[in-house]
Formats: sequence, structure tokens, C-alpha cells
Amino acid sequence: MLKILIPSMFMLLTTWTSPFKQLWSTILMYSFLVATLSLTWLAMPTDTGWFYINNYMAYDPLSSPLLVLTCWLLPLMIIASQNHLAVEPENRQRTYISLLISLQIFLILAFSATEMIMFYVMFEATLIPTLIIITRWGNQMERLNAGTYFLFYTLAGSLPLLVALLIYHSSMGSLSYLSLTSLPLTCSNLYADKLWWMACLLAFLVKMPLYGVHLWLPKAHVEAPIAGSMVLAAVLLKLGGYGMMRIMIILDPLTKELSYPFIILALWGVIMTGSICLRQTDLKSLIAYSSVSHMGLVAAGILIQTPWGFTGALILMIAHGLTSSALFCLANTNYERTHSRTIILARGLQMVLPLMATWWFLASLANLALPPLPNLMGEIMIITSLFNWSFYTLILTGLGTLITASYSLYMFLLTQRGPIPHHLILLEPSHTREHLLLALHLLPLLLLIAKPELVWGWTA
Amino acid sequence: MCAWRRLHGSVRTLRGSLLRGCLSSTAATRRQPGRCGGLTLCQRLSTGGALRNDFFKDLEDQLAAMRKKAADALPGSSWMPFEINPNLPPETADIVIVGGGVVGWSIAYWLKQKERLPRGMRVLVVERDPSYSRASTVLSVGGIRQQFSLPENIYLSLASADFMRNINEHLSVMNEDPVDLQFNHSGYLFLASEEVAHIMEENYNTQRLAGAKVSLLSPQRVKENFPWINTEGVALASYGLENEGWFDPWSLLNAFRRKAISLGAIQCFGEVTDFKYTTHIRTTADEEQLETRRIKSVKVQMPNSMEYQPVECAIVVNAAGAYSGKLAEMLGIGRGPQDSIYGLPVPVEPRKRYVYVVHCPDGPGLDCPLLIDYSGVYFRREGLGGNYISGISPEEAEEPDTSNLEVDHQFFEDKVWPKLAHRVPAFEKLKVTSAWAGFYDYNTFDQNGIIGIHPLISNMYFATGFSGHGLQHSPAVGRAVAELILDGGFKTLNLKRMSFSRIFAQEPMLEQNIV
Repeated sequence: MLKILIPSMFMLLTTWTSPFKQLWSTILMYSFLVATLSLTWLAMPTDTGWFYINNYMAYDPLSSPLLVLTCWLLPLMIIASQNHLAVEPENRQRTYISLLISLQIFLILAFSATEMIMFYVMFEATLIPTLIIITRWGNQMERLNAGTYFLFYTLAGSLPLLVALLIYHSSMGSLSYLSLTSLPLTCSNLYADKLWWMACLLAFLVKMPLYGVHLWLPKAHVEAPIAGSMVLAAVLLKLGGYGMMRIMIILDPLTKELSYPFIILALWGVIMTGSICLRQTDLKSLIAYSSVSHMGLVAAGILIQTPWGFTGALILMIAHGLTSSALFCLANTNYERTHSRTIILARGLQMVLPLMATWWFLASLANLALPPLPNLMGEIMIITSLFNWSFYTLILTGLGTLITASYSLYMFLLTQRGPIPHHLILLEPSHTREHLLLALHLLPLLLLIAKPELVWGWTA
Repeated sequence: MCAWRRLHGSVRTLRGSLLRGCLSSTAATRRQPGRCGGLTLCQRLSTGGALRNDFFKDLEDQLAAMRKKAADALPGSSWMPFEINPNLPPETADIVIVGGGVVGWSIAYWLKQKERLPRGMRVLVVERDPSYSRASTVLSVGGIRQQFSLPENIYLSLASADFMRNINEHLSVMNEDPVDLQFNHSGYLFLASEEVAHIMEENYNTQRLAGAKVSLLSPQRVKENFPWINTEGVALASYGLENEGWFDPWSLLNAFRRKAISLGAIQCFGEVTDFKYTTHIRTTADEEQLETRRIKSVKVQMPNSMEYQPVECAIVVNAAGAYSGKLAEMLGIGRGPQDSIYGLPVPVEPRKRYVYVVHCPDGPGLDCPLLIDYSGVYFRREGLGGNYISGISPEEAEEPDTSNLEVDHQFFEDKVWPKLAHRVPAFEKLKVTSAWAGFYDYNTFDQNGIIGIHPLISNMYFATGFSGHGLQHSPAVGRAVAELILDGGFKTLNLKRMSFSRIFAQEPMLEQNIV
């Protein structure tokens, strides 16, 4: 763990002291090194599952896939941002990279926290670099609105979480993960306990996002620059899922009744946001709503509280992180060439950029959960565990799968197939950098087909 | 100045003041409370009038002012501590249309009409002349005809006439008045001499084949139908029976504008002064280096101000009319070495044409088509009061100066009146009541429109160079350009021959006119 955390912290120093000409290559190589080292997290020698470094940081089969995803994403973000930051002055480029690195540090600390309060502090800390990235480097005027929505939705959801954690700590004495399982359950029928249950979960439901509180996500994703969109889609949403999984332990047995409306809301959100995707005119907005759709399924899987549900949720989180980030990178390649995110103005690209069309094809297939990709594994496990709980959820999840397939295909066919407008004939050809970026996104996804045990969670 | 311009001008100011009426009245009333608020003991020394200040009326005024200030400060009001120019265009737009004439607004309307989802695209129309006082659209004679020799022009006019006949199906806005173009279907009458009669017959066949309702008349028939014409020297005449005549260009422009804005297009009054573009150098199949440019953003300068806004855009449409050539020069077209394609400018430049309004009570009367004589002179009836408007295209060598819109009245005396009076004897006694001048967006290459993308600028579409036919083709041209942008190719009318390739191949597509 320290071999990854200390280099990450020192990467901040490297950003500010390396000569400007070698800045991007240095940081890229450095972050690739850290990412490769982080793969050691996936090897789990212990049989308890937990691997403690010190009293405060640990990782287990639940957090290690997310940690690896976080570390893997930094070099990808660096590659993706290189082009649009090239016109900025030197100090601003260094600041941007420092923000990305500090985000990674906070995320590593969050996922490896052993105590809920530390997790909470890191959860909140990740908001600051993300907010700065969205509001300073976004492209449109609406980014101020987007930043406000993002910040205040998350803060409003997480303040009750702080209160709830402090209440629990003062009554039970500890918030360490290991001891959470052996502490007495909070079984009472007081209304205050139900509010406490809600307070624990609200922050994570807003972060996931759950359908009713999802309004910040399309705004934040669309207005953020490419690295901001990538980290938001790939990792920050999973903070919500991870937090929910950790805090579920202390929420028994209230969850049995209280989770019912949220499961239904999540499933309804899958269908509604899927339908909204079919009506979108902005490409990034379409991908953002598809994120909400997938995460609705994850939320339902976690709230079900079965081993298969948790496993499916974790696999879907990892797979969706890679897929969604890849789709945002593809949308960015379009945007850098045409300076517009409108779908109908960038059509028929297969004629002009055929290799990019391959990546579009793979990413769209991953998005619609094609077997044998891990996306399908996750979705199938969640759908099965929901079916086990209640037959009628199959209607909702089945319809959701159908709509997911239709909007993924719609996005692919609209951007790649069809007649190419005259203003796109002389489009800039694809750069090697872009191909590398997408290969690095989709290769882990394809490798996970062979060994999904790496991301299964505790059911090893 | 002249009755016609005054009529136009007063209608325009009336419309403008109706729009701004409510705002100006609040500005006036806003000043009132500030004048005598306060409980100052202003003792007036005059003996007339009340010596006592009315305490309660002052109090009421003060309270009203305080309420207004509070309402302004609360959210929901439009007061801002710093002034934002409401005319400033947005920072980004998907399509920027340079030129707010009838062609520009037609393209904006069709783009908004064809986007499949509402507010799917941001379309910005930039026009530099807020009063449209120098715009070619409103200074046009306003005629529409199908009597061309090129099938493309005939189809364009037919489609446009069909659009304008059913204009309220297309351009009506809910809760607003229906559009009235004042379309007079009086037809065009071309008169041909012996030498050019065969051209007229060929054109007649092309027009009939394309579907235009045109008829050929012998001089006797012409005399029967229009007894006021002197048929001396006329061998053949061609008369349009349907879909020809004249209409009010300002109404068409406003109809397009109103409908496009109601569908979500954004209007901005400003001048495009610069482009930011990226350059790409590619190798062609013949191992040559080709340098193409791609526009990244358009710099729009606000009128009478140093303020400007760079608008980041994906596509630029050049509908700037007479100034299209100058706009293209900002991108470097025409400024390269003479013998290369970089040195070939967009061949559109302004050409001034005069229009004279004459009053002749004994003139042709109501049954009067737009007559075009083989000598080049033309005239049409204007209104019902015995007024006619007339003009002629000057010779190549005698093109007037295009730096202003001043009218040369001597031109009428020397060039127009003799030919007019020869053709219509009643016009020997007429009085010129007014005149105006307007610019043609004259295509110096072959006097026909250019529609399509320039080979060197990857994302600039052109819809210009119509040389006097822009207004009558505008609805169909707008649809064609929208199809090019959104559908990738022409769908309803095949206008491929009107692209830039004919200019680069130096193969002019000339009209076989009789004038």
C-alpha cells in the first residue's frame, strides 16, 4: 500500500518541479508505474480477506478492485487531457495535474479507510478538486450551474451522514469496519432510528446517483472537461456504492422494510433514464444518463443485501467505470474535432475514422452488456437476485435491459453509420494517443472476462 | 427621402416602437418618484399654488420607490449589478449563420425545422445591420419567376413559389398574425427580338419540361392581351401563367425570422470580423500538399462598440450576400499565389442596381405583368395608385460605384426612360417620384448561386452569389443547405451542379438569357 500511496504523494512534488518540456511524459510514466504497482493489490494472500497496513488503512476484496481502478485511471486521465490543456499556460497545466493527483490520493485514502469517519472525510475531500476542475476548466457558461448543483447535492446529502456516524459512534463506541460486524444491531422501532437509517444512506444514494436525486450528474458530466468526466463516471460514483456496501452492516435489520421504496425507485430510474437517453441531443448528456441507468441497477443490487447482489454490484461498478470512461473519451475525440457535442452534427463517422469506429463499437457493445463481458455478469447477477426477492422486478429489469440495448445501439448507429455530412469529410485523423487511451480502457475489460474472480468481492 | 423608403421606414419604426413601447413607458415612469421624493422643506416663494407639501403623497412615492428597489434586489428580477449586453451572442453555438438576410433566415428556419428533437442544435444568425437599411433583401424588387434556362434555377423557383403560396402552413406562429406576403400573381412577360427568339423557344421547352407553367405568345396575342405594349421589334413573348409575380420581401424576411426565433434560433446584431481556425496539411493522391482550414470560432464585434464575443462553433454558413467574398477573404481564400487554388477568390462582389419609382396615371393599369424587354429594361406595377417601378442592368463597363447607395438620376434619363417609353408609349408622360439603390450579390464567374462547401475550408457552407435571384430562391435554398448539413446530401432538389467545383474547374454554368 505504501509503495503506491507515497509515490502518489510525491507525484505532486514531481508535477511542480519537473522541467516543463518533460512534464507530461514524466507524469504519464510515473502514474503508469504507480498503476502497475497497484495491480499487486489484486493478489489476496490472506484468508480473512482483510489486508491491514496499519491501524487506519486496509484493503479487502471489496475495496481492492476499486483501488486498482482508481490508480489505473490516472494515466488515462493524463493521456486524455494532454491535448486540450496544451494551449494553457504552464502553471495552469501543473495545477490541473496536481488536482488530478490529489483526487487520486483522496480516493486511495477513502477506499482504504478502515474507519467510517476517515472514509467520510475523504469522501468529502474528493469534492473539492472535482469542483475546481469542473468550474475552472469546463467549456461552457453552464459549468457554474453544474458546479453548484454537484457541490450542494452532495453536501446536503452527506451532512446527515456525519450526524448519523457521530450518533452511532457515541452510542456504540467504534466505527472501525472490523468491529462493526460484531457490535449489537440497532433494532428498534423508534421513528428516530428510521431517520438515522435514512441519514446513513442518503449521502451514498445521492452520490450513486439514485433516480430522484440524480439531477446533478448530467450537468456535472456534461460541463466537466474530459478528465473530470472520466473520474466522475469511473470512480466518484463508485464511492457512493462502496460506502453503501460498507455501511449496510450496521443498518440491519431496519433495511428489510425501509429499503423497499429505494429499490423500486432505483429500478424505475433505470427505465426512466434509459428512455431519456433516447431523446438526448447532446452526446455527453446521453452517456451521463446511461451512467445513471447503470448505477440504478447497482443501487438496487446493494439494497437487496444478498451475496449475489453485492457481487453483481461490484462487478457492474468496475465494468461500468471502464465502459463509461471509454465512452466519454470517445465523445471527447468527437468534440475536439467538431467543437460541438450535438449528435446530429457528427454523423457517419465510420467513413472518415474507421478505426475509431471499432472502439465505438466495442464500447457500445460493452454498454449494452453483451456477453461475455463483465457488464453482463454484473447485470445478470443483480437481476437474478432481484428476481429471487420478487418476481415482478423482472418486468422492470427486463424492460431496462431492452431500453439500454436500444439507446446504446442508437448512439452507435447515429454517430457511426449513415451519410456523412460534407463538413466532416476532412476531419483530423485519429491520433495514436487516442487509440492508446481507448485500448487501455477496453483491454482490462476484455481481460476481466477471463478472470472475474479478481473483482468478485468476498464470495471468492 | 423617397415615398417608398419612408413608407418602409415608418412601418419599421412603428413595429420597432411597438416592441419597445412597454419598456420605454416604464423608463419614463421610473424617473417620476425620484424627482420629488423626500420631505425637504422646499418653501416656494411664489404665491401661486399650494404652499404646503403633501406629506402623504410624498410618503406614498417614497414607499413605492422602496418597494421597487426591494423587488429588484430579490431573486427573480432581472436587475444585475453589472450590465450585460443583451445583444451579446452566446459563447458557443453549433451553427453560426453569417448574414441575416432572407437566405440566412431561411437556412436558420429550415435547420430548426429539420432537427428531430426540439432545441437539439444552437443556431445563431449574425447580422450587422440592425435596421436592414443596406441589406439586399429589403431593397429588392421582389419578383419571382420560373423563366430560367437552367433546370436548377427553375426547380428552385418552383419550390419557392409553392412554399410561398402555402406560407402559413410553414411559417405561422401560434397566437400571432398570419403571414401575408402580398404575393401578386401577375406573371412575368419576356419580350424577344428576332435574334434571340430561338433562345426563348429553347428556354420555353426546358421550362415546360421542368414543370413551369409558361406560354409562348406571338406579337398579335401580346397586343390583344396587353394593348398598351408597343410590339414593334418583338418576335416572340414568353408569359408565366402561374407561380410568377412579385411579393413583399420584408414580410418574407420577417416571417422567416419570427418562425425561426420561435423554434429556438438566436439572433445577434454584430459584425463578423475574424475567424480562429486550425490548419491541416494533407498529401493528395497526386503527391501534392494541400492546406485546409477548419474554423474553430467566429469573432463577432458588437455594433458601435469595442465589445466582441468569440463564438465557438462547429459549422459556419456564409449567407452574407454581397459581402460573401470579403468574408471568405478573412480566411485567406483568394489571398494566395495567383495560379494556385488558394489564389482563387470566392467570386461574389456587390454590384449596385438602381430602382426608380414612377407615377403614370395613364399607364398600363392593373393588368400588368413584370415586363422585361430584350433591351434589358424592366418595370412592374407597384400598388394600385398608378405607380410603377422600373430599372435596367447597366453595361459591364459602366458599373456604378459600390461604396454607397446613392442613386444616379441621370441614369434614368439616359438609359431607362427612352427604352421604357419606346416599349410602352404611355410612359412617355411620367414623373419619377423616388428611387433607391441596392446591391446584388453578383457572382462574377457565371451569375448563378453557389451552394455547398468550399474545398479549402472544411466547415464553411456557402449560400451566396445568386446575382439578383436570392430572394426568389430563398425558401428552396434554405431547405437545400439544411439538407446538406443535416442529411449529408441534397434530398429534394439535386443542386450538385451549383457547388464550388464548377468554379475550380473553370466551367461556368451560364444562363442562356435573352437579355
